[in-house]
Amino acid sequence: MAEDKFTAIVVGAGPAGSTAAYLLAREGLDVLLIEKGDTPGSKNMFGGRMYSYALNRIMPDFWEEAPLERPVAREIITLMDDEKSVSVTYRDENWLHPPYHSWVLLRADFDAWLASKAEEAGALLACNILVDDVVWDGDRIVGIQAGDDQLLADVVICADGANSLLTEKAGLRNRLLPHQVATGFKQVIELPPETINQRFQLNGSEGVAQLFAGSCTRGMQGGGFLYTNKNSISLGLVIKSSDLQHNQYYPAELLEDFKAHPTIAPLVADGREAEYSAHLVPEAGLEMAPRLFGSGILAAGDAAGLVINLGYLVRGMDLAIASGEAAARTVIQARTNNDFSAEGLSIYQQFLQETAVLTAMETYRQAPRFLDNRRLYEVYPALATGLLSRMFTVDETSPVHLMTKALNELKKNEMGLTRLIGDAWKGGRSL
Amino acid sequence: MAGVWILGENHEQTLELLNGGRKLADQLDTKLVALFRGVQELAPEYIDYGADEVLVLPPIAPEQPFSSYVPIIVEEARQEDPDIFLVAATTRGKEIAARIAARLNTGLGSECTGLILDPDSGKLHMKRMMFGGAAVQKVVCTTRPQMATIPLHTFEPTARLEGRTGQVRELAAPPASAVSIIERKPREKESSNITEARVLVCVGRGLQKEADLELARELAEALGGEIACTRPIAEELHWLPEESYIGLSGQHVKPDLYIGIGISGQIQHTVGIRDAKVICAVNRDEKAAIFQISDYGITGDLYEVIPRLTAELKKVLQK
Amino acid sequence: MPKIITCFKWVIDQADIKSEPGSNRLILDRVDYKISDYDRNAIEEAVRLQEVYGGSVAALTIGTPAARKSLKDALARGPEQAYFVHDASFNDLEPAQTASLLARALDSQIDYDLIICGEGSGDLYAQQVGPRLAENLNLPCITQARKLTIQENQVIAERKVEEGIEVVAAPMPCLVTVLPEINTPRIPGLKDTLAASKKPVTEISLQDLGQYYEPCLKTIDLQATTMERKCEKFDPADGLNKLAQALVKAAAIS
Repeated sequence: MAEDKFTAIVVGAGPAGSTAAYLLAREGLDVLLIEKGDTPGSKNMFGGRMYSYALNRIMPDFWEEAPLERPVAREIITLMDDEKSVSVTYRDENWLHPPYHSWVLLRADFDAWLASKAEEAGALLACNILVDDVVWDGDRIVGIQAGDDQLLADVVICADGANSLLTEKAGLRNRLLPHQVATGFKQVIELPPETINQRFQLNGSEGVAQLFAGSCTRGMQGGGFLYTNKNSISLGLVIKSSDLQHNQYYPAELLEDFKAHPTIAPLVADGREAEYSAHLVPEAGLEMAPRLFGSGILAAGDAAGLVINLGYLVRGMDLAIASGEAAARTVIQARTNNDFSAEGLSIYQQFLQETAVLTAMETYRQAPRFLDNRRLYEVYPALATGLLSRMFTVDETSPVHLMTKALNELKKNEMGLTRLIGDAWKGGRSL
Repeated sequence: MAGVWILGENHEQTLELLNGGRKLADQLDTKLVALFRGVQELAPEYIDYGADEVLVLPPIAPEQPFSSYVPIIVEEARQEDPDIFLVAATTRGKEIAARIAARLNTGLGSECTGLILDPDSGKLHMKRMMFGGAAVQKVVCTTRPQMATIPLHTFEPTARLEGRTGQVRELAAPPASAVSIIERKPREKESSNITEARVLVCVGRGLQKEADLELARELAEALGGEIACTRPIAEELHWLPEESYIGLSGQHVKPDLYIGIGISGQIQHTVGIRDAKVICAVNRDEKAAIFQISDYGITGDLYEVIPRLTAELKKVLQK
Repeated sequence: MPKIITCFKWVIDQADIKSEPGSNRLILDRVDYKISDYDRNAIEEAVRLQEVYGGSVAALTIGTPAARKSLKDALARGPEQAYFVHDASFNDLEPAQTASLLARALDSQIDYDLIICGEGSGDLYAQQVGPRLAENLNLPCITQARKLTIQENQVIAERKVEEGIEVVAAPMPCLVTVLPEINTPRIPGLKDTLAASKKPVTEISLQDLGQYYEPCLKTIDLQATTMERKCEKFDPADGLNKLAQALVKAAAIS
C-alpha cells in the first residue's frame, strides 16, 4: 500500500519521539508516531525533572500551556549514613522567572501533552502498538514491522527508551549489559500542597529537587532523589543494575528503608503512597557508544543513551528533547537532499552538536568511569557526616583541632590523604 | 392510588420480594401488590404471604417470552400509579424492569442489595455496587414509581400468615410479542450448590490445565467442601459448570471458609466472596490483590503448596 | 445486508480506582478511561456478523467531549464509521438519560437494522441502556445473548436465563445485548489503528438532538467498598501446619 509510506516513523511517544514527530509534522511531513502503551505516558507515574532550555527553543513559553508541577527554586545535595546526614542547599530566585531553569513534572501528564502537540501538528499517533522489528531492504532500513503489519518510511526514528529493542535490531548497538544501565525505582507519595510547602520551606508553587548519596544505596553505585510535585512527592533510588543483581537486594525493600531514614521519614510522613514503579536508565554515556544513526535510521533520547548522570546532576529529558529536535532537523535536511542513506543522515551528528547534546555528552565522557568508584557511595558520605558530627558534637572528651578531626576521620574510614586528593583530581577532571 | 408492587418470576422470588415489600408498604401505610404469573387458583396463597392484592398475569402461548407482559404491566401501572415497584433481578426480570421503567419514564435502581425508606422524603435509598464492586453507590429515584431490581436472596422468604384477606384480579391478555422462543435448553443438573457450601475451594487462572482441578478437588474433599471458580474458568475454558463461578455476574457466596487458589483477586470476583467468614489465598505473586482481602495467605507455587496443605489439614482434622 | 449499530461507553478503568486508606473515600482523580470491556464484545460481535453476512457497522457513543479519545480505539476494532453524541453536560448520565439521548440520535440521524450493546457497562453495570433503548425506539429486544446468527430478516439468539438457554428469534430491526462469552475481541493492529484515523466520525451535539432529558435517578452517596481482613501471611516452607490449624480454628471446621 503506497499510501502507507511515511516520511518518518517515530517509535516511542516519550519526550524525544514526540518532539521529533511534532517538528516533522509542523513542516507538513507525513509522520507516524507509535506508542506501545495505552496512551503516551500511560501508567508512567514518574515525577521527572526537566531543564527548560531545550523545549523552550522549540515551543517558546511552553510553561504557559504544558502540564507542569513546580519550577525548581532549590537544589539540595545530601550525603547520608544510617543516622547522620549533611546537606548543601542552593537557592536561586532567577530560576523562578521565565525562562525558568527547570521544572518538576509528572511524566504521565507531560508526555500525553507533548504527544498531543505532535498530533495537533498533524502527526498520526498509534497507541497500543508494539514494534517488533525494523524492515530491511539490503543494508538500508525502510520501515518497521508490528505484528502482521509492515509499514514503510524514508526514515525510522528510534525513541523507544533505554531498553530500546529497535536500536538493537537495527544494529546500532548491542544488547545492554547490566553494568551499562541503572535501575530506577520510585514511588509517588501524595501530600497536601500546604504540607509540602511547610516541610520543604517552599513559597507558593515553587519546588525543590534533592539528590542523595550514601547509605541509601548500601554502598552500591547510585543515589536517591526527591522531587516535589504540586500535591505529591516523587521519591526514588537509581542504582546500577549490575550492583543490584550482584547484591540481590529487593528494590522495594531498599526504597522502604530509604523512606524510613530519619532524614526522609518526616518529609513523607502521613503521605498516601500512590504507584510504585521501576524503569531503566542508560548509564554508560558515550562509552556504551550506540551508533546514533544508520541507513534509514536515527536514534534519539534514552534509546541513544543520551543521559547524563553525574550524581549531583541528572539530565535526561532535556537531552531527549534536544536530540528529538536534532533528529527532526536531520530528516528535513535529508529530505531536501533526498538522501536517507547513512551518509545523508550523518548530519545528525552536527545537529546534535548544535543542540548542545553531544557537547554535553563529550564533556562528561569520563564521568561514568569516575562514578564507578565505590568510595563515592560508601566512604565519602561517611567521611562527611563523620567530620560534621565531630565538629558539632560537644561532650566531656577534650576538644580536638579541626584539621586533626579531619585527619582522624580519614583514618577511621581507612582513607589515605593521597587517595582523597587523587579522587578529587579525577572528579574535577570528569565532572 | 398508590401501593408497593412486586414481581418475581417464580414462587421463591415472590416470597422474598413479599417480605421486603411488606415492610415498605407498612412504612408507607399503603397496600402491597404482587404480580403473579401462574395458575390463578394459587394466587390467593400470596394473600396469606402478605400481599393485599394479587394481579394475575394471564397465561400466554409457550413461544411467547416473559417480556410479553411489559405492555399490560405498564398499562396497569399507569392506572394504579404505584409508589414503589420491586422486580426480581433475574435475566428476564432485569430486562422487563428496564423496559417498564423506560415506558413509565421513571428511574430504576439495578440490583439493589439494600433498600431504606427515608421517613422524611418517603424516598427509597437504594444501595448498589458499581465499578465492578469497587464502590457502593446509593441512588434515589426522583420519579414515580420508584423502581428497583433486587438480587435473589436479598430478603428472606416471608412466612405464611393465616386469616389475611385481599383481592385477586386477572389482567387482560397481552398482545403478541415480536420476539418468540424457538427452543428451551434446560441447564444440566447442578452437581453442587456452591451457595450452600460451608467450605469452598475456588480456582482461578493460576491453574495451568483442567486436570489440575484434581488438586483443588482433593483439598475440598479433605474439608468436606465444594469447588468453585472465577468467571474465565467457567465461561472461557469451560472447566467447570457456569453455576460454579463466583463474582459480580455469577454467584455470591457466604461460606465459613473460602480458599482461593491461583486467583489474582480482581474486584469482579472478590465482590462475590465478601460475605465469606474466613478467606485464605494461595498465589505465586506476592503482590496479588487477593492477599489484601485475605485473612490468611501463602505466597508460593500452588502445585507445591496445595498437596502439602491438603495433607496438613487431613492431619489436623485427623482424617 | 444488515446495517449494524454497536453502542459503546467510555468508562473509568477500574484498575485505576483507589480508595483513601482508613476511609471509604474513592480516589478518582488519576484514572484512565477505556472502552468498557463488555462493549468490546458488542463491537466485536457487530464486526463478526458483518464478516459473515455483509452489510455495515457503525459505532455509536455518547459522553463529554473528552470521550472523543475513544473513537479511534473503537474504529480500530472494525466499524467503518462512528457517531459521537457529545456535550459537556453529558457527565455521569444515568441509564434513562443515556438511552433517551441515544434513541433521539438514532431516530433522527442514523439508519439501522440491528443494534448491539454490551450486557452492561464497566462502571455502572446497570444493564438498562440496551432494553431501555429498545423500548424508546419501540424495537424488539433480546438481552444476554451468548450466540447470534441472522436468518433472512430475523436475528436468532441463544439467550442465557436462570434455568438454561432460551433460543429466541426477533425480526429486524431489533436490539440485542451480548454477554462477554459470545466472542473474544480482537486486538487492533497497527494498520487497523492507522485506518481508524481515516474513518468518518459524525458528531451530534445536544443542539442537534433538540432535547435534554432530566435524570430520574440521583446518586446521593458513593463510597469505596472495604473488606477488613487479617492479612496474615504464612511461610510456604514451614508454615503450612500452622495455616492448617488456623483455618480449622477460624472457620470452625470439624
